[in-house]
Amino acid sequence: MTISVAPGPDTQEGTRTGTAESTDSLTAPDIPWNLVIWNDPVNLMSYVSYVFQSYFGYSETKANKLMMEVHRKGRSIVASGSKEQVERHAVAMHGFGLWATVEKASGGNGGASGKSGGPRQGKGKRG
Amino acid sequence: MAKAFKYGLKGITGYLEPAERDLLRSLIDDVISMLEPEDRTGQDPLAALIGLDMDVSEPTDRAVKRLLPNVVKDDGGASLEFRQLTERSLRETKIGALRAAALDLDKDEIVLTPEGAQHWSMALNDVRLVLAERLDIRDEADAEHVHRMQDWSQAEDVESYLALVYNFTTWLQESLVQAMLQSMETRR
Repeated sequence: MTISVAPGPDTQEGTRTGTAESTDSLTAPDIPWNLVIWNDPVNLMSYVSYVFQSYFGYSETKANKLMMEVHRKGRSIVASGSKEQVERHAVAMHGFGLWATVEKASGGNGGASGKSGGPRQGKGKRG
Repeated sequence: MAKAFKYGLKGITGYLEPAERDLLRSLIDDVISMLEPEDRTGQDPLAALIGLDMDVSEPTDRAVKRLLPNVVKDDGGASLEFRQLTERSLRETKIGALRAAALDLDKDEIVLTPEGAQHWSMALNDVRLVLAERLDIRDEADAEHVHRMQDWSQAEDVESYLALVYNFTTWLQESLVQAMLQSMETRR
């Protein structure tokens, strides 16, 4: 997120563990899913906090805490629920322009994300 | 000069110079044209009616992909399936907010309802996401580098001009969001 001169988030959390999960594995309907928001250098910290407050109804304190987690750690789980619920949240987040993904809650280190780190790695050389 | 958005008795208000409004209007139009679904002939009209789009594919343009990101990380298949169900309406949501903001640009003084303010914040955010892709802002250091560009007399090439435009929209969105947070606090 922007309006900060802090160095980039620690993108090394989570380690690659073996092969990626099969995408067509059976999913029981009662397995909880997580909504993950990823850090990016464009979205304003104030805006991200505003979205968490206005869309999820979170308190200012909770919204700021989650926003700072996104900023510092590169990602944060901001909501959990059924697959349908978190998918609905994800579309809403995309509507706001936030970088959101869904993943299965089970499985330790961040579920299906095989690669560690934020989504914006591999920066190109500036022209 | 534009005035920062502020929250007061009339709601959230802002003021932009005609040239600034023209600039924003053209930026908004650009983003709308990127988001408008292509008119495909031979598409199932019933599917289109309920928002399904079986011909959708992952965007190749980086900026469009940032506006319409994959919903499952590292899983193109699951993300594509989700796109078929949701992308059309997501595009429409975004276009709706962008059009609403563009309409407000026709007036000298901008007075926003809470809903209008939200449309504006979404529209400005999408404009900034697209500009950031064009400026190749990949990390916070890039953002900081662009942020340092504040003097319009330095604008000598497309990149520095874009950077100034980006900083202007950042400033505008920040002032708007601060006013929105203030208004939310008051209503609590």
